[in-house]
Amino acid sequence: MKRYVKPLGAVLAVVIAAIAIGACGSSSSSSSSSKSSASSGAAAPSSSSSSGTITLAQGVFPQSLDPGLDYTTQGAETNWLVYTGLTTYAHTSGLASTKLIPGLATALPVITDGGKTYTVTLRKGLKFSNGKPVVASDFTYAVERSIKIPWGGSGEFITPNIVGGAAYSSGKAKSISGITTNDATGKIVIHLTHPYGAFVNVLAEPTLGLIPAGFPLKVQPTSPPPGVGPYKVTNIVANQSYDVVRNPLWPSMNVPGIPAGHVDVDVKVNSNVSANALAVLNNTADVFDWADTIPGSLQPQIQAKASSRFSFINLGGSVYYFFLNSQEKPFNNQLAREAVVTGLNEEALSRLGGGTLVPACFFLPPAVAGHPTSASCPYGTPGIGNLAKAKALVKQSGEEGAPVTVWSQERTPRLQWGTYYTQFLNSIGFKATQKPIADATYFTTIGEEKTLHPQTGFADWNQDFPNPIDFYGVLLTGGSILPTDNENFGETNDPQINTNAAKYSAISTTQLQANSTQWQALDEYTAKKAYVAVFGYQKFPKFTSSRINYGAALFNSIYGWDFTSFELK
Amino acid sequence: MARFVVRRLLVMFALLIATTIVTFGLFTLIPSANPAVLIAGRLATPQEIEQINVEYGFNKPIYVQYVKTMKNILTGKAYSYQSGFNVDSEIKAGLPATLSLALGAGFIWLVSSIAVGTLAAVRAGRLTDRLLAVLALTGVSMPVFFLGAVLLYYLGYKLNWFPLGGYTKLTSNPLQWLKHLILPWFALSVLFIGFYSRVLRSSILDSVNEDYVRTAHAKGLSERQVLVRHILRNSLIPIISLFGLDLAQVIGGGAIITESVFNLHGVGELARDSIQRLDIITLMAIVMLTAAAVVILGAVVDVITAYLDPRIRLMT
Amino acid sequence: MSTTSASGTDFSDSAPAGSAGDGQALPAGIGPWALAWRRLRRNKTSMAFGGLFLLIVVLCLLAPVYSHDVAHIGPAAENITGTIKVGGKTENIVSLTDIPIGPTWHSHYFLGADELGRDVAVRLLYGGRNSLEIGAVATLITMIFGTLLGLAAGYFRGLADGAIRGVLDVIWAYPAVLLGVTLGTVLAVGSIGPLHGTNLMVPAVVIGFVYIPYVAKPIRGQTLGLREREFVDAARQQGLSHLRIMGWEILPNLASTIIVFIPLILANAILLEAGLTYLGAGVQPPNASWGTMITDGIDQIPAAFHLVLAPGIMLVLAVLSINIFGDGLVDALNPRAKVRISLTGSETDDH
Repeated sequence: MKRYVKPLGAVLAVVIAAIAIGACGSSSSSSSSSKSSASSGAAAPSSSSSSGTITLAQGVFPQSLDPGLDYTTQGAETNWLVYTGLTTYAHTSGLASTKLIPGLATALPVITDGGKTYTVTLRKGLKFSNGKPVVASDFTYAVERSIKIPWGGSGEFITPNIVGGAAYSSGKAKSISGITTNDATGKIVIHLTHPYGAFVNVLAEPTLGLIPAGFPLKVQPTSPPPGVGPYKVTNIVANQSYDVVRNPLWPSMNVPGIPAGHVDVDVKVNSNVSANALAVLNNTADVFDWADTIPGSLQPQIQAKASSRFSFINLGGSVYYFFLNSQEKPFNNQLAREAVVTGLNEEALSRLGGGTLVPACFFLPPAVAGHPTSASCPYGTPGIGNLAKAKALVKQSGEEGAPVTVWSQERTPRLQWGTYYTQFLNSIGFKATQKPIADATYFTTIGEEKTLHPQTGFADWNQDFPNPIDFYGVLLTGGSILPTDNENFGETNDPQINTNAAKYSAISTTQLQANSTQWQALDEYTAKKAYVAVFGYQKFPKFTSSRINYGAALFNSIYGWDFTSFELK
Repeated sequence: MARFVVRRLLVMFALLIATTIVTFGLFTLIPSANPAVLIAGRLATPQEIEQINVEYGFNKPIYVQYVKTMKNILTGKAYSYQSGFNVDSEIKAGLPATLSLALGAGFIWLVSSIAVGTLAAVRAGRLTDRLLAVLALTGVSMPVFFLGAVLLYYLGYKLNWFPLGGYTKLTSNPLQWLKHLILPWFALSVLFIGFYSRVLRSSILDSVNEDYVRTAHAKGLSERQVLVRHILRNSLIPIISLFGLDLAQVIGGGAIITESVFNLHGVGELARDSIQRLDIITLMAIVMLTAAAVVILGAVVDVITAYLDPRIRLMT
Repeated sequence: MSTTSASGTDFSDSAPAGSAGDGQALPAGIGPWALAWRRLRRNKTSMAFGGLFLLIVVLCLLAPVYSHDVAHIGPAAENITGTIKVGGKTENIVSLTDIPIGPTWHSHYFLGADELGRDVAVRLLYGGRNSLEIGAVATLITMIFGTLLGLAAGYFRGLADGAIRGVLDVIWAYPAVLLGVTLGTVLAVGSIGPLHGTNLMVPAVVIGFVYIPYVAKPIRGQTLGLREREFVDAARQQGLSHLRIMGWEILPNLASTIIVFIPLILANAILLEAGLTYLGAGVQPPNASWGTMITDGIDQIPAAFHLVLAPGIMLVLAVLSINIFGDGLVDALNPRAKVRISLTGSETDDH
């Protein structure tokens, strides 16, 4: 019955042909490193380092490439180079990259009136990426738009701090009374409601990067506003990709301290992070996004095959912790909290993270002035933890057997951290159960403070800027407790923290280095009260293909990859 | 003919309303799906949230919100809460990948099932049949993400035969388009081939006893002619009906797992993301797409089966 | 799954076991159930795989015994920074980059450890228990509600039929995975009644619910045909209530259809659980199930393939056994007969 084999034979033939195509094609795709298999229409690079396109494999699509909305590391990584603010950060490596430098302003702001008045002058000759000239009133518009959309951080960092901000936000005023500008001279004067030392940093946020006045006040995700910066974004395909290309108008504007880029960056978003890592290993993609996690199982082969272009860097700006609700049982009991901090096995947590955690106990991470440099951890050096002592403390506290719900995210390794933590709490005498929540809605879920009052769970914070008020003001003061969208998950409300944080918030970031002892003392106090169980500072992967000049590629301590530092070998 | 079309349109309309009401209703049960919070993002103040409630009308009764959402989706003015992307354009962006996956895999599994099922029926009871049965059932017993992940790692990374997921447009690079789709096509088809071939096999074996087959033999037709001209025609009917339904579901984003494993950025992956983000608007739009696809393809399938089986034609 | 047509072999109790019309007694024959059982027994392949499935079930039920007496470790007990002696050498159970050790083939960590230092073999058995339990409960829900709804729709017709069919169509048109993930997410974040997110019954209810149309529709089709038969007429004329007619006359005739569905739904339920867990909507940690183990193991494929291989093989073997046995069941109950129970469509769930 030969006839009936025909359809089967035809199918087999197709399959074999397909495999043949795949096998034949593979040699060309791996040797020709100028074409990445995922991109369409990549530019052919020349051998010099001054032109070309590279691919960046990102695991999560940014919330938005419109700076008026975006409040994610994935978005900020691009946006800070597209929307330069009045101030910005140094383009260098290590902790020096947290240093503030003038951005579109001629110099850092002159701060007067007890820290309440900021005066800057806009540089002359600036143009947006669409060629339109920049004027001082564009700054006011950027602030208004940020408040209107609203930008995630506006309620914390902008609206309450600028005079007239609250009135504008509620619709009572048509513009912000506290900002006055003069388009002819380029002078900008900002009046604050109280001395807010971190305001110089807020001016550096991409959301306050100048944009043309009159641009639509509603978020424009596929065609974001033009900005002033070394890069601009084109070709945004929702949830898939976007191209960060060099702004041809930038070099001629001669802004000091902010270099032009060498290459264009095509960002491809794929949620399969393992595949992204393998692609970079294979040289089919060029850069692995710093905010993604390289699975521990891939590390040995990456280490073996690509040790010259792979390492982990502690940017010093992020802290990972378990919050302990001091308003709810059982952690309203100091001894119960101490038990957790005493027994926590930070070594285990680091291993679960693929060995990328630096064990720690202090809430402020190293890049933030105020991180205690001379004190030792009050409940033992972070290591494998003292289970026996922890058990004793729980007994002493009288909270043995208390039911505890542990909240955790779902992606690796955060899920495993939650699982370990739950098991740990059980082993020291609590009755803990884990409740994992999808990553995309985790923080807003546990932020429902009014209804939820979460007892404990995972939280992390990556610095918006290296001023401790970013950590304390948002996460640990009584005033930061909100009924919904709360970030002070542990409902910490300690008068000493409240008053001192408010007091120290007046210290300008530029003065912090010299005045950090006060913040350090406060941070040591926080550690003693065990309001949070810090378990590490995250090290991030610096991993590129062999096409990239690895030594020249830089991490900025706040924004991760500095695209202006990418160059082809 | 007109009555047929009108009836189908009414069914589609009813189905769209029903499925979207269900989706909308489910999400109102989740407190953290509060759309104002999703729009405002992290760190929003109560005042900001209240303002959003007023501006977007989230204080209004549920049925008012439902109607407004449906209107927005159908006129192309629906925007995702968290990112502000236009929902309809997001779905349009995902359709090429999903359609490529669905139609390619559909063709492969249909043709393969017919081949395997016919072979198994013709050789019923013998070794070939038993082997094919075990093979088919193994395909049906394997979780797709397991198969997909293993294929991706060994054939994609270790042997470098295929790219590591992602999707390239047919129009920009046909060869890459093909290479990106071969593994997903295979992973998705394996499941269906197992089932459809078993159905076809039992369908063929059943019709062997039918009167019309005996008549055909009596008329002097050869085995082959009987098989192709008569048996297959009728045995294919259940397959075609199923094919319509399954294809419709894959097009509507039902191949969530396959698309997620291979990062195809299709409607399925969009569906998964919107559920996890609690993005109800995108989800409702996708649900509507599936319902529409099911009804449309169901109608097409009915027409084809009417053509294949005159008895059915007489009945409608 | 689509329609059924009239059945060939008549399994109703009212069928007399072998008697001729002219009064002459025939030798006592074998009833159709016994015949079917005999046919099934002769199908060596099906029996073998049926036995394999039973073996898997027994092994999983013995999980506590294994955990207590052989491995000396519970399924949730973690050991991330511990060490173990393997072949004379002391090794980290979990390496510094979170790569767990592979099978030791000894009583401790027989199949190796996972990234939290838990014993894979112990979790495999406990997880199997959960997966099978979820599958069983889901199957029960589907069969009970599917049969009831199909029976009611087919018997009463008219308005009841229209309403039930409408509901079934909505569930049917909603892709199973999407429905499962949506329901699973809703129940994980909020809760409906007593069902909370981490309860194992949540995925069971979700999966059971999803498959109801696949059973209800064919049952309805068959009921529509059966209600026109003579014995139903006779029962009606005898004045029997609707409930009695449905329960005593029609239901027994559906028996073979129902029996054939059970392994089918069970197999698909176990697969759907794995799929839902992969998408984050099924079993929640730290509960183990084959689905969670495979999902967690996928990230570890490059360095610790055993993590995904062990539960993967168990899952495939279990589901395959059920399928092959079920296949044999179909052949035994309806050998080459005109029953067309098209076993399909549900595959959309697992992709």
